[in-house]
Amino acid sequence: MYIFKNALISIWRNKGRNILIGVIILVITIASTVSLSILNASNKLISSYEEKNEIIGSITMNRESLMQNFDPNDREQGKENLKEQFSNIEEITVDNIKNYADSNYVKSYYYIESLGLNSSNIEKATSESINDRKGPMMENQESQAAFTLTGYSSIESMKEFIEGSYKITEGEISTDFTSNNCIINKELATLNDLSVGDKIVLVNPNNTLLTYEFTITGIFEDNSDVNAPSMDMFSNSVNNIITNTTALEKIYNDDTTLRNQITPTFILKNKAAISKFEKELQDKGLSEYLTLTTNLNQVESSIESISNVKTFAITFLVITLIIGSIVLFVINMINIRERKYEIGVLRTIGMKKSLVATKFVIELLIVSLASLILGTISGSLISVPTANKLLENEINSSKQNIDEINKNFGGNMMDKPDIPKDFNIEDNNFKKGTIQKIDKINAVVDIKVILELLIIGIVLTLISSLAAVITIQRFSPLTILKERG
Amino acid sequence: MDILKLENVGYRYKDANLNDYVLSDINYSFSLGKCYAIKGKSGSGKSTLLSLISGLERPSKGKIYYNNKDLGKIDLDKFRNTNIGIIFQSFNLLPHLNAIENIILSMDISGIKVKNKKEYAIKLLKDVGLTKDHGERRILRLSGGEQQRVAIARSLSYNPDIIIADEPTGNLDEETENEIIEIFKDLAHNQNKCVIIVTHSNNVAHKVDVVLELEKENKSIKKSKRI
Repeated sequence: MYIFKNALISIWRNKGRNILIGVIILVITIASTVSLSILNASNKLISSYEEKNEIIGSITMNRESLMQNFDPNDREQGKENLKEQFSNIEEITVDNIKNYADSNYVKSYYYIESLGLNSSNIEKATSESINDRKGPMMENQESQAAFTLTGYSSIESMKEFIEGSYKITEGEISTDFTSNNCIINKELATLNDLSVGDKIVLVNPNNTLLTYEFTITGIFEDNSDVNAPSMDMFSNSVNNIITNTTALEKIYNDDTTLRNQITPTFILKNKAAISKFEKELQDKGLSEYLTLTTNLNQVESSIESISNVKTFAITFLVITLIIGSIVLFVINMINIRERKYEIGVLRTIGMKKSLVATKFVIELLIVSLASLILGTISGSLISVPTANKLLENEINSSKQNIDEINKNFGGNMMDKPDIPKDFNIEDNNFKKGTIQKIDKINAVVDIKVILELLIIGIVLTLISSLAAVITIQRFSPLTILKERG
Repeated sequence: MDILKLENVGYRYKDANLNDYVLSDINYSFSLGKCYAIKGKSGSGKSTLLSLISGLERPSKGKIYYNNKDLGKIDLDKFRNTNIGIIFQSFNLLPHLNAIENIILSMDISGIKVKNKKEYAIKLLKDVGLTKDHGERRILRLSGGEQQRVAIARSLSYNPDIIIADEPTGNLDEETENEIIEIFKDLAHNQNKCVIIVTHSNNVAHKVDVVLELEKENKSIKKSKRI
């Protein structure tokens, strides 16, 4: 106890020296607080982002693999080979999807099916058949079909509604995923004078005797291509009739010669699961001409700016700590040399070396603690604007990059249909199923940061105290006092 | 009663030649209730002998016994903060503390149980002729004589058997020197302490009970006066 009391007296009566040490620790603490809080916020944002923006995988054509057998010296034969390979690719069935989804790497899954059908009581919206869902396997879809019947396996699979490109204007989407319910485009409804509760009859284009009655539960508006330059008078989804996969499969089971286009989507557990799931798909017999495609690049590019800030924070922290430790060590070394006389007196009157060292360490700890508290408060106050300023620079740089890419393509690439249209740097709210850029860090000094600071403070104090401990161990009290004499 | 016994004590510096001793074969016993002066020319080993007795150094050969206990086998830090009080020519007080705080710190280090340490420190200061006001002053605001009295009070704070003083009056005028010597004599004769003073001063030597001469040539000790 007396050691503590004397340490306090010593600090108070040697203010100049201790203020100097305190200011150095204060600067180190502020810099460390800012770095740690940015690091903490970055980590939280990245993990929260990765949680909200799931890794989504779908099975697509492996064009690279297909082109391997294309002989550029014999183009005609090459085309024939490609056609043959293409026709030999086995179509993915619902059973395949269920088998693939039965995996430790898959969190959930859904799928969309589509069939080309005609109708006996409604007209299609244009003279030409427009099928808006042209996936990689759509080329052979029945050309004579007027409508596309799209079946969703779950609410989760209805991405267009989740993202807002389709919006119900009348009625609702039925939660009954087994009955013959459907929702239709507003334009189609207007053209055919249809409303909620009306029934439409769909007809198998191969066999007009096979007819199916669907009840309209809702009417939707398609906003997906409002920005796209188009001369079409109708939206792409005008002849798209939306139902559930159970209803669609009943039609398909009646005539399996109909081309059933299935698009599976697998929600993977994490990034690491991608390669493992890919391997598992191959083991389960996925054709070599099909491959797993994910949104990993989109997810990673969206966190690029925050990752840059994180790297900067780590580098800044390491440099601060190294320089801070060296400066503190040197100052303490000088400080101890100045206080050799005090060490000599204390040792002469019988204070043990360990207690003398403890007294010096306690003095430094008290000064460090006071500086840590002040530094943490100041650091937390300036960490938010500093972090946001850093990120602002990153975002501006990212914007410039996008502009450059757009120029390279000779237009605004962001309007291309395969680029997310909801790229909005002013809005940092995450929307389910969409990829968004991060534009703001709310740097926080939480218990984790305080604990890290405390550890840093103790380590710094111990490092700089080493000077005192080594000196005390080395010096003989008599030598010190003789030198003074 | 013998409190301190030197038996064939010799000392040489660590970097000195094997037979190059500063002190050699010192034999002597110090008793309680007496005031000793150790005299000798510069380089005769007076201060070295003092540092050996006070446990600041260990002898290169021979043994020193305190109360029949070999100093080589006891905790010297404990010995210094309990059994022996050391007073230096340059006082060796802590300048950032006041006189009372210097004395209390010494009591704290020794672990002595005193009900009111501040009151006891003031009493000790009064015993050596200082007031409470002196005690509350920073060390550097006291005169040399006052500082030496504080050093004596500090050395008495844990009531040791032996008081060792290295040139305690070297920085003081004659009048103050006489006052300090009287304090030491009082400690020996009235408080039954063993007081050992290293000095060049003949004035001091005349006033103590026993004078020991350290001879530079044969590095031994010789008793020159005894009352």
